[in-house]
Amino acid sequence: MLDRIIKDYNDAVFETDKDAAFEVVNNALANGLTAEDVVFKVVIPAVEEMMSDITRDPDANLAQHFMTAQIAAEVTEKMLLKFAHPPEIIGRVVIGTAAGDLHSLGKRIVMGCLKALMVEVLDLGVNVPAEKFVAEALNYGADVIAISAMMVHTATGENGARKVRALLKEQGLEDKIKIVVGGAPYRFDNELYKTVGADGWAADGIAAGKMIVDLIRAGKAS
Amino acid sequence: MTPLDILVAAINGTPAPRIPIFCNLLDQGARELGMSQREYYRKGEHVAAGQLKMNRRFGHDNVWGLFYVGKEAEFFGCDNILYAEDGSPNVGDYVIKSWDDIAKLQVPADITAHPAWAETATCLKILREEVGATHPICAYLTASTSLPALLMGMDKWMELLMTGPADLRDHLLDLCSQFFQQEVAAYRAAGANVLVYSTPFGTHYFVGKKRFESFSMPWMKRDLAPGGVGGIVYYCGMAPFNEVIPAVMDELDIAIHYISPLADLAVAKSTIQNRLSQHGGKGLTCGVIDDIKLIHWTPEETRAEVKRMCEIGKPGGHFLFGTGVMPMAIPEANIKVMLDAAFEYGALP
Repeated sequence: MLDRIIKDYNDAVFETDKDAAFEVVNNALANGLTAEDVVFKVVIPAVEEMMSDITRDPDANLAQHFMTAQIAAEVTEKMLLKFAHPPEIIGRVVIGTAAGDLHSLGKRIVMGCLKALMVEVLDLGVNVPAEKFVAEALNYGADVIAISAMMVHTATGENGARKVRALLKEQGLEDKIKIVVGGAPYRFDNELYKTVGADGWAADGIAAGKMIVDLIRAGKAS
Repeated sequence: MTPLDILVAAINGTPAPRIPIFCNLLDQGARELGMSQREYYRKGEHVAAGQLKMNRRFGHDNVWGLFYVGKEAEFFGCDNILYAEDGSPNVGDYVIKSWDDIAKLQVPADITAHPAWAETATCLKILREEVGATHPICAYLTASTSLPALLMGMDKWMELLMTGPADLRDHLLDLCSQFFQQEVAAYRAAGANVLVYSTPFGTHYFVGKKRFESFSMPWMKRDLAPGGVGGIVYYCGMAPFNEVIPAVMDELDIAIHYISPLADLAVAKSTIQNRLSQHGGKGLTCGVIDDIKLIHWTPEETRAEVKRMCEIGKPGGHFLFGTGVMPMAIPEANIKVMLDAAFEYGALP
């Protein structure tokens, strides 16, 4: 039965059909699956499946990324209310777009994925000053600051990730809080993230979810 | 031959001394005139003067009627533009904050009577008078399926598109298509002859094959039907779109394509060449350099990339060398190296 549920859910996500995905989840619950099963055996594997699809399937597209993340986040949010015990949280992330940048799609996809992957996320919104990234990260106890930028000057300029790095250094927080970046400029130049002082980057929002989880786990292990 | 003659020759596949060489220097005009971005974009004569000065210095073929992409939102009431001294102005506040705002949205009855058009018209008039007989004048026009992103933000638009009520979505698209139809007519009347149709949703990078066919294609047909495709350049906001070139050529009749640096240029070129006969032998593959890498490339790396692109594009003709929206962080020396290389490797026997 579980295989059938997983297949039906994956098909619905692939077709970007949110209603169908929720129907699969509701039927699964009615047939005896627990909320924990839905999240850990259906939703998270589906996000991971999409991560590998992106590298395999040239037809995987932004609309699918967006819907995968939104469906996963919504289902997870609903299932968490039904959990017998609070789940183990992997870590915490503050996320926003760089100062001067209002492009919010990538941020939204990353947030959806992280929520489904049991990472707590604080959305700082768009056009976020570097000082706010650092102050909010400290208040929230964040492991990672995630900065999205779609324009070259907001990705590489002095008020974006570079300034966040400088502030972390100044305040002695570099071992405690990591910086990740994403957005079009980094896709065109895969080495760009290093020049702005980031610890990691991902080519798309779905892959970013896994990269951030790996970074948090590596940080906690060390 | 003038740059305009060279462009026409490349499209027609007739003899010319070299390939057309486009370089999109927009924000650099402020620096050229010693102005802030805000002051530069305040007046059409500034935008024209900055470009003409750079054009004389670098010798590239094209000029632009475009100020900044977010300007289209001003026609819908956006009055908050975010200026930066190191990059392009950007929409600072979206006019659609909730779905309820869509009902209040209006397309100006005549966009050429709207204040947002006045400075564009001034810029185009100067460019037409100064170089209109010799140089291509470009315009940037956002497709109906992508314009909502400038009005409400890409994530909110994606949400409405994927999960919202179809009648509301279609109403917004209808307004955006009406705007596009007016805008393209206005630019044509003002002398623009290279009309860059920016349609990110017209690629499989944004939407899958099924949605491209059922959603993007019908709206693109609607955008383009009244004015036709004369001078239209297919462009997907730097996203790769090789897979849709056959459909775009067959169904939209567009034979000029501005290829993403992330796409395989050789594949794009052969796909377009193979369909030229259906377009009266006319068409153009525009090879676009990855201008973000130009920020740090050495002269040797820049020259090698230009050479590589020209070697792919030149055989069989119908090829143009172009750039994206050149970031301001590119050192001027690299712009010069790139253009020198394009003139050298773009020479035709």
